[in-house]
Amino acid sequence: MTPIVHNRVLLALCLVGALAALYGEFLNSAPNRLAGSVALPLWQAPLLEAAAAMAGLGALTVLAFAAQVKLRSYATLLVAVLVLWASLSGAGHFATLLSSASPPAARYSLGATFWTLVAVALLAMLDAVQRMKLALALRVGLVAALCFGFVLMAQAGRFADLSLAKEFSSHRAIFFSELGRHLALVGAAIFFALCMGVPLTALVLRKAKACGVVFASLGIVQTIPSIALFGVLIAPLSALSRDLPFLRDLGVGGTGPAPAIIALTLYSLLPLVRSFYTGLAEVAEDVKDAAIGMGFGARNLFFAVELPLGLPALLSGLRVATIQAIGLAAVAALIGAGGLGAFVFQGVGEYALDLVLVGAIPIILLALAADFIFQMLIASARRRI
Amino acid sequence: MRRPPTLSRRSLLTGALWLSLSGKGGAASPVIVGSKLDLEGALLGHMALLALRRAGIETQNRLQIGPTAILREALLSGAIDLCVEYTGNAAFFFHQDDDPVWKDAEAGYARAAELDYRRNSLVWLRPAPADNSWAIAVPNRLAREKSLATLEDFARFARDGNRIKLAASAEFVESAAGLPAFETAYGFKLEARQLLVLSGGETSATMKAAADGMSGVNAAMAYGADGALEALDLLALEDPRHAEPVYAPAPVVRAATLELYPNIRQALAPVFASLDLATLRDLNEKVAVEGEAAAAVALAFLGAKGLLD
Repeated sequence: MTPIVHNRVLLALCLVGALAALYGEFLNSAPNRLAGSVALPLWQAPLLEAAAAMAGLGALTVLAFAAQVKLRSYATLLVAVLVLWASLSGAGHFATLLSSASPPAARYSLGATFWTLVAVALLAMLDAVQRMKLALALRVGLVAALCFGFVLMAQAGRFADLSLAKEFSSHRAIFFSELGRHLALVGAAIFFALCMGVPLTALVLRKAKACGVVFASLGIVQTIPSIALFGVLIAPLSALSRDLPFLRDLGVGGTGPAPAIIALTLYSLLPLVRSFYTGLAEVAEDVKDAAIGMGFGARNLFFAVELPLGLPALLSGLRVATIQAIGLAAVAALIGAGGLGAFVFQGVGEYALDLVLVGAIPIILLALAADFIFQMLIASARRRI
Repeated sequence: MRRPPTLSRRSLLTGALWLSLSGKGGAASPVIVGSKLDLEGALLGHMALLALRRAGIETQNRLQIGPTAILREALLSGAIDLCVEYTGNAAFFFHQDDDPVWKDAEAGYARAAELDYRRNSLVWLRPAPADNSWAIAVPNRLAREKSLATLEDFARFARDGNRIKLAASAEFVESAAGLPAFETAYGFKLEARQLLVLSGGETSATMKAAADGMSGVNAAMAYGADGALEALDLLALEDPRHAEPVYAPAPVVRAATLELYPNIRQALAPVFASLDLATLRDLNEKVAVEGEAAAAVALAFLGAKGLLD
């Protein structure tokens, strides 16, 4: 009798993981930051972690055939954590072993096998959590525990010899100020987009004729390539700041945060206004009629009826705009506004791809965190209706 | 019932945001030091920061803010007070690319200093005795095979119809002081299909491309003071006809800032005087190839020279 596959996702992930482990490179070793690298496969990694990773993959494959959902999911979680630990610890340990016998300039960077194994482990965990419908508090707890474990390993110096960690530590002094700048750019852009988006939505709601013009123009702005928009704003802003000295004292100039914030605000407007408009327009007419019948004035109608009912759509638009802004703010580094994109562009220019990751990974994590926070807010707004 | 935010509160928030982002304000404003996005910019910028702090001047680090054009714009608009610029770039800024004065180190510096002081109230301090001009580098293997040692050989190589793919930045390809200057001086012309143009000015990427033969690249834009030439087994072709202007790094400071802090001059003079081409190349190598942090290399160098006592 042929065994039945109860979790095809898990089986597919294991297949991908196995292929990566067999044919990919776990670590890339180079004599210095610029030289070409030599690929080192998983089985050359320290025995304990390599064996754990392979065993974990094997166990996950077996689990794919298990029928009982709850038991299988818990087991998958445990085994996936094992694979994750094996990949992280294995990479760090391997780098440490290699670097003890090499000059300090040698660089060990993470290869495709590492990233695939980590992705397989995380996706298996996500799949298991969704299948067993784990409560929110437990999900948050799981994420917190994983982060805590990672921080513990990092503090113990496990990752110190990986070139990603070396790039981070040589740029540590400015990392947090650039992170702060990145968040400030996104925060300012969303703030101004809200300030402009709310009146624009009100306008579009009251005058149906304005609808076409507003959405068409916002749509056109959205299609302008981001680098082009940043660049196009430099000339008029420098001219303005030269003619009006008070702007210069405020820090508004052709380069720096001003053109970046203006461009980010413009890009954030379309998702915001579109979902504000949809959210408010779809508040049922009979609910509004009932409210007016009960004696609600226009202002009361907006704040007590329309806004709470349209809040999920509002928050949804804010979520899209924020995630978009977090990604786009990376380009701001090109025009002197700083932010995490600075590391991306420095890395590309210096041909140090691990420096690019020092910029890119925090951007991805920020976007994921923003997505998570907004999903919580939307869920709670929906529950309150 | 909530009242919508009033205009005054909104403008207060806006003002606060701008101020916090620009970091200005206050009577004794720190000297904001900027630099180019590349590694040498970071290195020289950190040296300037350390020297100024040693002289008791409060500084703010805005290093690696972007390419040449962005840095220039930031300096002109007052977003930064001091940066390290190259004397040859003044030809670019003042549209005097064809003038032969830029080929002489002293005369070029004098012209840059005079023009920028008169027109933009920017003071050029003493440059370093290093000429970090553009160069074309080829892999040593190719140089041996085809006997390439100078740009004259390269020009002959190009004219003979050999396969060439030059990786360069947009700045190098478009600036009259860049590739066009070489082409005019040595009598060759590279077509668009023989060029691989990157948007940034970094030579690490172009040199790596030539060293590895990526996308068929067998020549790269490089700088005279590049640290990675030896590590990547590349040869920077000599420029016997002096097609390039002299690019000596010099600190450029706004006149207003220099008036406020006149000891900037004495603080930076010994630092830049100690940077000759070999030293600069060596320091660049530590940062670009060995991957040491620019700040650490700058600190070690200044400490070794006794400039931080």
